[in-house]
Amino acid sequence: MIRRLRRLPGYVFLSVFALFSVFPLYFMVVSATNSSADVLDSRLLPGTQLLENFAKLFAEQDVVSAMVNSFLIAVGTTVLSLLLCSIAGYGFEVFHSRAKDAVLAILLLAMMIPFAATMIPLFELFANAGLVNSLIAVIVPTIATPFLILLFRQATRSFPHEIIEAARIDGVSEVGIFARIYMPTMRSTYAAAAVITFMTAWNNFLWPRVILINNDVQTMPLLISNLSAGYVTDYGVLMLAVLLASLPTMVIFLVLQRAFAAGITGAIK
Amino acid sequence: MNRNTMRRFVAVGVALPLALSLGACSSAGGDSAGGGDGDETLTVWAWDPAFNIFALEEAEKIYQQDHPDFKLEIVETAWDDLQPKLTTLAQSREYGELPDIFLMQNNAFQKNVLNYPDLFSEVSGDAVDFSEFPTSVAAYSTVDDVNYGVPFDSGTAITALRTDVLEQAGYTIDDFTDITWSQFITQGEDVLAKTGQPLLSGQAGSSDMIMMILQSAGASLFDEDGNPTIVDNDALLAAIDVYTQLVESGIFVEVNSWDEYIGTFVNGSVAGTINGTWIVGSITGAEDQAGLWAVTNLPKLEGVDGATNYSANGGSSWAISSNADVDLATDFLAATFAGSTELYDTILPTSGAVANWIPAGDSDVYAEPNAFFGGQAIFADVVKFGAEVPSNNTGAYYYEGRDAVSAAITQIMGGADPDEALAEAQANVEFAME
Repeated sequence: MIRRLRRLPGYVFLSVFALFSVFPLYFMVVSATNSSADVLDSRLLPGTQLLENFAKLFAEQDVVSAMVNSFLIAVGTTVLSLLLCSIAGYGFEVFHSRAKDAVLAILLLAMMIPFAATMIPLFELFANAGLVNSLIAVIVPTIATPFLILLFRQATRSFPHEIIEAARIDGVSEVGIFARIYMPTMRSTYAAAAVITFMTAWNNFLWPRVILINNDVQTMPLLISNLSAGYVTDYGVLMLAVLLASLPTMVIFLVLQRAFAAGITGAIK
Repeated sequence: MNRNTMRRFVAVGVALPLALSLGACSSAGGDSAGGGDGDETLTVWAWDPAFNIFALEEAEKIYQQDHPDFKLEIVETAWDDLQPKLTTLAQSREYGELPDIFLMQNNAFQKNVLNYPDLFSEVSGDAVDFSEFPTSVAAYSTVDDVNYGVPFDSGTAITALRTDVLEQAGYTIDDFTDITWSQFITQGEDVLAKTGQPLLSGQAGSSDMIMMILQSAGASLFDEDGNPTIVDNDALLAAIDVYTQLVESGIFVEVNSWDEYIGTFVNGSVAGTINGTWIVGSITGAEDQAGLWAVTNLPKLEGVDGATNYSANGGSSWAISSNADVDLATDFLAATFAGSTELYDTILPTSGAVANWIPAGDSDVYAEPNAFFGGQAIFADVVKFGAEVPSNNTGAYYYEGRDAVSAAITQIMGGADPDEALAEAQANVEFAME
């Protein structure tokens, strides 16, 4: 009993903290069911406007196409960047040399350059290639990120190199070692990287806004931006769109939650 | 991950880029802006489906009466996204991606024309009669006597007040018409004392209110040559003084965000607002307050040369791009936004888009009583106010000037000396201009 009481302050602290983190989510869900005036009135109870908000949102905006585009971009970016960055991270660690360390250092320096500085040359590049309004142009500049390469390189440090030696003696090709031994072993790192990449790609805003000029290729964040651009904003509809846009990242995170935590802390099972 | 999953994983990894590049080919093949190829389609960038885009669609219908093959391709683009797009296109010199027509905030017009002249085509004065627009409005899109835009929605400022609250304190809307700021403050304090309700609200750190007061005296943050005049600017000092008094007396409630600002009058915690006439769209969202509002002009500054009861905030104009089918775009704008009472009659009741085009104001639709505003023909009044708004210089660094003044106001409200804070603001703007 006393032990429980001693824990009480901790629980109170955690509960308050949890309340603060969960409240915005709760407000988003509840507001999606309320009218604009109710949202402005900070109504905290579920309302009856959900269907009306749905109808308005789908009448005003091409939500399906935006969802599909966002999905293609997020999945495409995730698959390609996991493949590319894990190969790079693996290479930097397993085929280690001083020259490669120097290359990695340069890559890390590239993390310091803000995207806004490279956006205009990048736009020129894609415009010359005739790729304005293409999903390819959204995906390609984001698939190789120094952060993911570093994540994979650090994770590879804890990958036992003896396994690689043993596989080589057994006659497994280098590609085979990577695809059949390394990849399955590192699945928690892949999961963590997948969650991060998917979320970043799904929420990416500035670059898609610039390169995707026509609205038939717009993504969910762009659609949401349009919903709040008018003189009068329908907050119920806006909250519903935000809710719809948040669902995929929530699902991905919940599904990969355990592996994500393990991957970030660098555990190998 | 077993071997099968692995295979699928690799297969998807290979197939997806292929699929996407095919998709890319099809969408990249879509047509961009016209460019005089005999095709009667114009591409337009604009925001707000209930307002600007609705107006475009109605204009399209009107133009189609004489041009059956005419079509508009409207790309909904929020203003906050439109500006970075224009900047990117201008800096990468990819003008081929521009639409035929784009909508531009009036306050940003000068800056864009001066910084990126190659984005624009001139709007010929032969096709569009600019004398049919208020001088102050046409001035936003005029640089060196050349017009680059056709004015659309009016940013004419209004004072909207809750008549029921005024009544409780023993006032009517007439007591707030053609008055000075000191009268407004005295009466506002009285209303607050008797009813507990402040009259105004706004975003803390926003300079909207100050800029409206400033323009009401025809003053600006820049002189005619574009040099900043933030220091020793009597109108600015008077405006800041009024703002400080409003906040300190509790008549003006400062909130943290735009959404909160809208919330203050929609949920009735303040009894009025001063803003561009487009704010009417948000006011009428509070259906339970129907019949309880009235609209009048702004209070004016005392002891400042050129002070009036009229001002503006916001509003936007149509620009014709350098990549446009200029003849078609000009003819379309001249026949609709600068020449069709029918258009303005259609869009006013549904969207509340008040015309800057003076002939539209004579229409019966503008004179119709508005039930939400207790039967007042508010739009006819707004058009009358619009003709009285003094012109002011916006210039290439208008936004830098506004930002610097906003920062100064935050300091002044925190107790800093106004002269010092404004001197710093001036230095910051001069630094940005170097």
